[in-house]
Amino acid sequence: MTTHKLIAAPTPLQPGGYIKVAYAARSEPLVPSADFDLEQVDDGYRITLRWKCPKPVSDASTDTNLWVDAAAVLAPGVPGAPWITMGAEDLPVQGALWRADRKEVTRIHAEGLGSVERQAAPEGWQVSAEWNKGQWRVTFELQSWPALAQHGQIALAVWRGEAQDRGGLKSISQGWIGL
Amino acid sequence: MSTATKTGVQRQIAMVLDLNKCLNCQTCTVSCKKLWNQDAGTDYAYWNNVETRPGTGYPKQWSELGGRDAQGKASRGTVPDLDTQYGRAWNFNHELVLLKPKGDRNKPKAWLRPQGGNGEGSRPTWGANWDEDQGTGTYPGDNHYFYLPRLCNHCTHPACLDACPRSAIHKRKEDGIVLVDQDRCHGYRFCAEACPYKKIYYDTQRQVATKCIFCFPRIEEGEAPACARQCPGRLRFVGYADDRDGPIWKLVEKWKVALPLHPEYGLAPNVFYVPPMSPPKLDAQGRPTDQPRIEPAYLESLFGKRVHQALATIEAERAKKKQGKPSELMDLLIAFDWNKSFAIPAQSSKQPSGQQATKK
Repeated sequence: MTTHKLIAAPTPLQPGGYIKVAYAARSEPLVPSADFDLEQVDDGYRITLRWKCPKPVSDASTDTNLWVDAAAVLAPGVPGAPWITMGAEDLPVQGALWRADRKEVTRIHAEGLGSVERQAAPEGWQVSAEWNKGQWRVTFELQSWPALAQHGQIALAVWRGEAQDRGGLKSISQGWIGL
Repeated sequence: MSTATKTGVQRQIAMVLDLNKCLNCQTCTVSCKKLWNQDAGTDYAYWNNVETRPGTGYPKQWSELGGRDAQGKASRGTVPDLDTQYGRAWNFNHELVLLKPKGDRNKPKAWLRPQGGNGEGSRPTWGANWDEDQGTGTYPGDNHYFYLPRLCNHCTHPACLDACPRSAIHKRKEDGIVLVDQDRCHGYRFCAEACPYKKIYYDTQRQVATKCIFCFPRIEEGEAPACARQCPGRLRFVGYADDRDGPIWKLVEKWKVALPLHPEYGLAPNVFYVPPMSPPKLDAQGRPTDQPRIEPAYLESLFGKRVHQALATIEAERAKKKQGKPSELMDLLIAFDWNKSFAIPAQSSKQPSGQQATKK
């Protein structure tokens, strides 16, 4: 496991007028760092993320103002795709999303902020998660991920539900992490 | 309409509610709820509600929950809490009351009682109409209240639309109705935070935003929304804001007696209210004074400074009518000809531009 410093995803970049004003004060990451490990397993990957989370939220279905913990890993779909805006027009990024209230992993595709599409994960993509002693440990088992194999870069994102993280309110790696 | 051209909306459908006629019968609330909003995840949510004023409103103290400040600038809002602000849907002892065992005919039936939102034995501690008819003041001198029906204002500059990072909210070109595309919505609830009227709800089961759709399928057919059509008090007027022969233009622009709620938010609502008139306060001897029971400052806090002129206009027109003189305004407000309350030509195209998708 290597520890990676995380930064707050910059709210001034968020689409629309509200978030950038209402959350202007969110300049520090609510999850300052995450441990990360990547193992190649056959043609695929086992990716493990671990971060501190004193108050986990795994169910948001009981109230209107609850948000769940979540994490995602991202890879560029083409060379030069920016990680901080989750890609851009014609510069897609692809990823895998774990939410604490779901057992299955979700595949994501984006070409810029606000464009994220959630898709059913391909066969052979799985996720498992465990919260223990104030930490989440999430393991993605991705039998094959051509985007990562091709470009050799990955980015991380973590959402702390208890702190109302969601969407663009998240802690992210400082850039693409080279494999 | 100038605002329409600025926002790319061709025409704006609008509603006027005459608060002098609201009975608080909640027929509007029920007709809306039954028609559109019976999903398990929104059992707490009333796209249309009627609240007693002065009072806490629904959700509780909604005007203090942020989204826009008094200068019309975006400010951090909060998503209301289900237990303490919206109020969880109550359970009732229906089985006990309605399904009496056989042979029990002579025993008195149990009274229908709420049991709270947390199962058998619990008692509700808050609900959508908790302070109904409470009002303010002291009997008999100045006690008073009035009713304020509320729905999405289908604002010209919607705060919810501005807040959604996914562009999942849009304003229809043909009538300005604001809709959520629930297929695009990821349930972030920035819209619920940002709406200062707190008229965006969250479906906790489907995890998407939901809101009043101004009964757009009815509007497309030339029918008034259910809340307006079913209103026994006939206090609702519906039509296009730029229709000079219709009720909206006459009440809002010509007579200037219909005003938006909290105009200071700067969102240009398209739901307007004819403010309530007051009986006079009584003095210590029980004689009427020249002071209205509803504090003018309170009405100003809801409807802005123009409320005083609006009330003066209604007063003057009512006096004319009492003298047997004609008054277009009074004839319109009393719904002398109810057909004139709704002026909604059917839309030529039956293809709605982006429905509030039903992601069930």
